[in-house]
Amino acid sequence: MIEHGPLLERLLEGEFICAVTDEHSFHKLQNEALVEEFNHFLRPLNRRVAKSDDASVYFLAYCDLSQNARHHLSQQFSTTVQSLLPMLEWMQLVQEALGRDGALSAGDTIKLQDFESKVVDNQSLMQRLAHLAGDKVFKSTSDKVDMQIKQVFKRIKELGYLHQPHKDRLFYIVTGKIEHLIELVRFIKDEENLPIDDVPEQEAMF
Amino acid sequence: MNQPSKSNNALQSNPLFDLGKERLELIGKHSEALMQGYLQGHVDETAFTVQALDKLINGRILWRPDEQQPLALRPNVNDLIASLTQDERKRQINSDVGEHLDQIHTRVQSLQAARQKGDYAATEHHMQLLTERVYDMTGQFGDAIESLWHRLNTEFGFVSSLDDKILEIELAQRQLRRILDGFSIINFDDLIQLAGSDGALRKLLVSQLQARISEHSGSLLEVQKRLVLLMARFRHQQDRALLINRMSAFLRQHPNFQVGDYPNRSEVPAVVNQAHGIKAHAFVALDRAQDGYALAELARAVPRAPEQGSQSETQTEGFAVAVQNLVATEQKQLAKDVEDFFIRVIESPEALSGVDYLAEQELPWEPEIWLFQIVAEYEGLPQQNKQSFMLEKDAAPQSRFNQLHIIKDVRVGMRFFGDFQAVG
Repeated sequence: MIEHGPLLERLLEGEFICAVTDEHSFHKLQNEALVEEFNHFLRPLNRRVAKSDDASVYFLAYCDLSQNARHHLSQQFSTTVQSLLPMLEWMQLVQEALGRDGALSAGDTIKLQDFESKVVDNQSLMQRLAHLAGDKVFKSTSDKVDMQIKQVFKRIKELGYLHQPHKDRLFYIVTGKIEHLIELVRFIKDEENLPIDDVPEQEAMF
Repeated sequence: MNQPSKSNNALQSNPLFDLGKERLELIGKHSEALMQGYLQGHVDETAFTVQALDKLINGRILWRPDEQQPLALRPNVNDLIASLTQDERKRQINSDVGEHLDQIHTRVQSLQAARQKGDYAATEHHMQLLTERVYDMTGQFGDAIESLWHRLNTEFGFVSSLDDKILEIELAQRQLRRILDGFSIINFDDLIQLAGSDGALRKLLVSQLQARISEHSGSLLEVQKRLVLLMARFRHQQDRALLINRMSAFLRQHPNFQVGDYPNRSEVPAVVNQAHGIKAHAFVALDRAQDGYALAELARAVPRAPEQGSQSETQTEGFAVAVQNLVATEQKQLAKDVEDFFIRVIESPEALSGVDYLAEQELPWEPEIWLFQIVAEYEGLPQQNKQSFMLEKDAAPQSRFNQLHIIKDVRVGMRFFGDFQAVG
């Protein structure tokens, strides 16, 4: 167990572990017997190893939903919900600017320079970026495109949806946590019976 | 695919030879205009002379699909170009097996009839045609399969949007199914009967064909599997993109939309169950004797500024400034000592050794730093002042294997009349 100390500590600190952020640890967590041991260790802390439906990301969840646990969950959930629309808009913006076919998914790389050059070429993308950057989730006060982009990406990295392999190089990789977010979106859609399956598309997708 | 080798006595006297050659040359001669026609879907008639147009039309290369339509390439020419260039937009997948089988039957009957009559020339001719027909059939499927693989490996890159890719995969799946259906109507019992006791026919119609068809079937099943996987991936991507677009549109239109209070439901959904982060802090503890030595080491390693008795760990910023101040003070003292050394040189009648001066004055500097500072000071002098001094480095190569020289000492003296006063 000693050798897994650092990984346990990171999990306890609330980190999401996926193939992008830490491939080695991610593979460790695919070992069910080891996760069983982890869970045994984590039991007194009221925590267990959880994963997203598609097993692309691991994190800790509560074992017992005590009053205290629910209190934390409520706080966390409301933060996530607040950042939901900005995150979705960001994903659309990146997808459209970079001319990608499908939505962003874990493992996709984004070079800020490419993204910036696409955005400055297109008035409507620039406006949407400015609007997005001013959102309270991103809190950019700059009116310069490059500063807005840097701020938005920095914040999303802090939220754990982006991984920056080299500190001084401006390229990012989408992490597995984004799959968890998409799962949440799908869950909300189903749970609230949102009438969005039959709605004609609001914006041209392609 | 291997084409059957033509018999050596290729009949140049055959009228087909010259005609075919002439038409192939015609294609070559007008290749540019024809390729433009291929890409545009119709041919620019003004690019040709009237005679050339006539030749191309009579040569069955161009045609007019309809009175009102412009001239275009004949379908076979289109197919030829598409196949030569692996152009998946236009490449045809021909999956008709029945037609081939019919022709094979007819050929075998003609062959047997000729053989019964003892007409060897005709027998040989029919055998050649039959061989070609069989190879054409397997070659055609080979091409079709190659085309499907090519599409798969490029992930249907010849169409740009995800929607189009999905449509293309559906099309490929239908084509593939038709080929497999075609294979199933090849009845090898019939072919065995047809071949009878003729060894060459048996080999052609039964053993070779069977090997080819089973190889093709295997390949097709693999393609089918891969197509399903690719389709699943594309559908997944499409699904995600739709979900994101529609959800964000919905949230924009309903700014006051309230999500359910999932964390406080009796059954908390797994997707919101995410534990908050906790940090495990630890502090210095002296209650274990065996840790004493390690802790003392750590305590000694904590840097502190000399003028202040102790520095709290938390005052890291103040500490950094203190170190900087200390370094700056030392640097100033060193520079001043070097300056004194130079003044002594000016006063002295002969050149002075830096190392000797250092020892004599009992200065606290490392010889290396000291010499370095002297050299630096000398190099930093204004040009006319520098000319008044002469600096000689007492250096020796560190090793004969590299260019590294170690300076053991420097001698500085005043320069009078352009020569080193104290040398020698």
